Amino acid sequence: MTTVTVEGHPGSEGPPVAEARRGFGIDLVRAIVRNKKALVGVALLVFFLVLALFPGQIAPDDGQAEIFQPGLGASWHHWFGTTAYGQDVLSQLIWGTRQSIVIAFAVGGLATAIAVIVGVSAAYLGGVADGVLSLVTDVILVIPIFPLIIVIAAYKKSAGLFTLIIVLGALGWSYGARQLRSQTLSLRTRDFLESARVRGERKLYIIVYEIIPTMTSLIVASFLGAALYAVLFAAGLQFIGLGDPNSQSWGTMLYWAENNEALGANMVLWAIMPGVCVALLGAAFALLNYAFDEISNPALRLRRLDKPPAPDRRDAAPLAPSSPENILEVRGLTVAYTSDDGPVIAVDGVDLEVARGEFLGIVGESGCGKSTLLYSITRLLGPPFSGEIVGGEVIFNGREIATLGERQLRHIRWREFSVVMQSAMNALNPVLTIEAQMRDACKAHSTMSSKEIADRSREVLRLVSIDPIHLKSYPHQLSGGMRQRAMIAMALLFTPDLVIMDEPTSALDVVAQRSLMAQIKELQRRLGFAVIFVTHDMSLVRHFSDRVLVMYAAQVSELGRTRQVFEKPLHPYTRALLDAYPSIHGPKVALRGIPGAPPNLGAPPAGCRFAPRCVHATARCQIAPSLLDVDGELVRCVLYEDAEVPAAAEARA
Amino acid sequence: MRFVVRRVAFFVATLWAAITINFLIPRLMPGNAAIAMLGRYRGRINPAALHALEIAFGINTHQGLVSAYFSYLGNIVRGRFGTSLTFFPDAVMHEVLQALPWTLGLVGLTTILAFIAGTLIGLISAWRRGGMLDGVLPPIFVITSAFPYFWLALLAIWLFAIKLGWLPENGGYDVKTNVAWSWTFIADVIRHSILPAATILATSVGGWILTMRNNTISVLAEDYVRMARAKGLSSWRIMWTYAGRNAILPNLTGFAMSLGFVVSGAILVEFVFNYPGVGWMFLQSVENQDYALMQGLFLMITVAVLVAILAADIATAILDPRTRDSR
Repeated sequence: MTTVTVEGHPGSEGPPVAEARRGFGIDLVRAIVRNKKALVGVALLVFFLVLALFPGQIAPDDGQAEIFQPGLGASWHHWFGTTAYGQDVLSQLIWGTRQSIVIAFAVGGLATAIAVIVGVSAAYLGGVADGVLSLVTDVILVIPIFPLIIVIAAYKKSAGLFTLIIVLGALGWSYGARQLRSQTLSLRTRDFLESARVRGERKLYIIVYEIIPTMTSLIVASFLGAALYAVLFAAGLQFIGLGDPNSQSWGTMLYWAENNEALGANMVLWAIMPGVCVALLGAAFALLNYAFDEISNPALRLRRLDKPPAPDRRDAAPLAPSSPENILEVRGLTVAYTSDDGPVIAVDGVDLEVARGEFLGIVGESGCGKSTLLYSITRLLGPPFSGEIVGGEVIFNGREIATLGERQLRHIRWREFSVVMQSAMNALNPVLTIEAQMRDACKAHSTMSSKEIADRSREVLRLVSIDPIHLKSYPHQLSGGMRQRAMIAMALLFTPDLVIMDEPTSALDVVAQRSLMAQIKELQRRLGFAVIFVTHDMSLVRHFSDRVLVMYAAQVSELGRTRQVFEKPLHPYTRALLDAYPSIHGPKVALRGIPGAPPNLGAPPAGCRFAPRCVHATARCQIAPSLLDVDGELVRCVLYEDAEVPAAAEARA
Repeated sequence: MRFVVRRVAFFVATLWAAITINFLIPRLMPGNAAIAMLGRYRGRINPAALHALEIAFGINTHQGLVSAYFSYLGNIVRGRFGTSLTFFPDAVMHEVLQALPWTLGLVGLTTILAFIAGTLIGLISAWRRGGMLDGVLPPIFVITSAFPYFWLALLAIWLFAIKLGWLPENGGYDVKTNVAWSWTFIADVIRHSILPAATILATSVGGWILTMRNNTISVLAEDYVRMARAKGLSSWRIMWTYAGRNAILPNLTGFAMSLGFVVSGAILVEFVFNYPGVGWMFLQSVENQDYALMQGLFLMITVAVLVAILAADIATAILDPRTRDSR
């Protein structure tokens, strides 16, 4: 963990909880303090700001006065020597800071203001206004601004500070506007905007109070980008003599240095130092810009877990499965994520077994660790989930795969177990045809000839009732249901022993869902592979799975035969889940939601994790319950510590 | 189809905007500097050519603004950019075409090289996340991308030409060499191009590295990359056809967007090196108040940027089937 705490920095001790969408301010300060690049950028910027504000107090001399011997080298009196006109280079640099800072902030401000107005209104107004504004933005973006400024300066003979600011500001907004437009577009349909619209707020109010605050980081990035290019372009223009030759600026210094051939004439620092200043100020903006990118896009930040305690599990447990019937045995599997507030245990000591040909359903609310469990079993943790297996073992087909090297793992993948993901739209490579993606898998694991590969690809597509003609299609050319089937077909290329499915039907409508599930079940019976199936949909589990695992807050709360669990649910959470879903065949009962939400896994409740939401909670729930065996069913609840089924459960059954 | 129509509209609009800016600027500037310039032409060129220049700069025209504008558009469409003062009596078009190969050779090639190198380094650095390459390069290139091109050019000349004397200080070729398609001439041209090329490369490659790295990191979090891992594909295959090919698509858009920046820097590099390309000629025309040449070159630079964007568009269409589909 690289948690840096800076004491006394304003805002750094702010509340650790992010305010939902409005409060970017405190988080932003916290994030800047934590980011080294941002800190360096801020330090450089503050340095130059101080120089720009108090040149009279800081500079040893007047920058313009020609009072020294010309062409002096570096010395204690003249750190960077003197110019060919006898001016002190250091003083000139310090006095010249002001102009760069003024240009940077004025252009940054002007360009950002235009970018916000154009970008947000284009996206928000939509239609013709959007078309026109976007076109203007794109055109301004590619018109070469620097040559254009040169043309303008050529007619005006020189471009003073004011001209520079106006022209750079009027032309430098397009990049920011583009970004802000697409960001606004993605926000447009969000709930909080919908609700503002329903409340009848005026458009302007929505834009100013609802949209703009959510885009702080993009607006800052737009400002920094414009400031950076303003500093560079202004220096370039002054360097070629199109600025005001009497102004005090770094670019003008470079112009005079070049005109006096300072580099050849041993006044090297005169020619180098102004460039160093431009580069450093530019670097300040570039570093801040980059850091903001990292802050607003957390995927760019690299987080590392504190090295987990060295696993000594290899000697502790035998490798062989406890039953030869089991294709998969998971023992004490624990997975941790890193977060800004410390490690988060997303899977906590999970045990489970899957027999050959068995259909196991895993249910639970979002954020209970179901997907993490799947991806740790399949060793697919990685970005965006920076999780790591920190304990336990996964025995698959007689091998311990939790610690297997990536290379050995590759040989097992897809041949012995395959994966079907929630959305084929995202899981299929958008730039390759279905055929190419099937060929990929075949080539990785076999020496099949092109013809054999093509034959097999056609065969598996037929298995899921897709016309093999679609082998030539790209994913975006298929309908949602077809994509999902194509992915399942791909998973069956080698007829693996285990297919792991992460909500494979949740992207489909109810009718398509049913028919696809029936097909999966049919294929499973025919081909004999085992299935682990994660879903929110209790009715799917009820109809298709042999056993059910109910997960709550990273732990197994109940595990048993489907029939038993549905008819006689033991855990209060399971009961609550069942009450929250309509039953298709059963009598009509009022549906009840589960009040509250799953706990934050970074700081789970001390005792029973469900206790805060449980209607049966008692003082005994303060102590974490262990998993109990009740008639062959596993349940984590103190109600069963005396191994007797309480009345409540029986009443419902 | 909609994609193509939109792009064509964009190209036409940009071209039109550049031409219109060209037309308007001389008319908007107080104390029209072009009048003085035209004075120097009088009696030296034929009345028709003079008239064309008068239209271009809005002097002595009894035409209204609108009809002058259409005459100007007509001249541009027929490739009549006027006569260059510096290279009198050559037509502007002739001069521009002389300078163009130098710029295409230097700026064009180095830009393509920088893009390819930057894309590769960015991809690998994101793939080896947290590795040596990834730890060192991004911060370095964030800083070098803020360097003024011309300043780095000055440093390069000072170090490699003046101090060490390894490479020529400036120019596109040695005036003593015969300008012909001979190996000596080509070798000389290459020798002269090393420093300016290295300058452009060093300052522009960072931008591509950073954007490609960030794109790749976003793409690596995509489900299809995870799926590729689940399929047990080789890292090589995942890196190129799953991560790389998807990550380069936004980078191509980025290429189009950053091009103006690169071109601007390249103009200054040509200026510093007295390199006989479009940028150098552009700044010469500014110095000589040769407005016809200057405006012709401005249009040429805009067209060059558009051609490069078109190339990026075509590459995108080849790499991304979604843009190919006429939806």
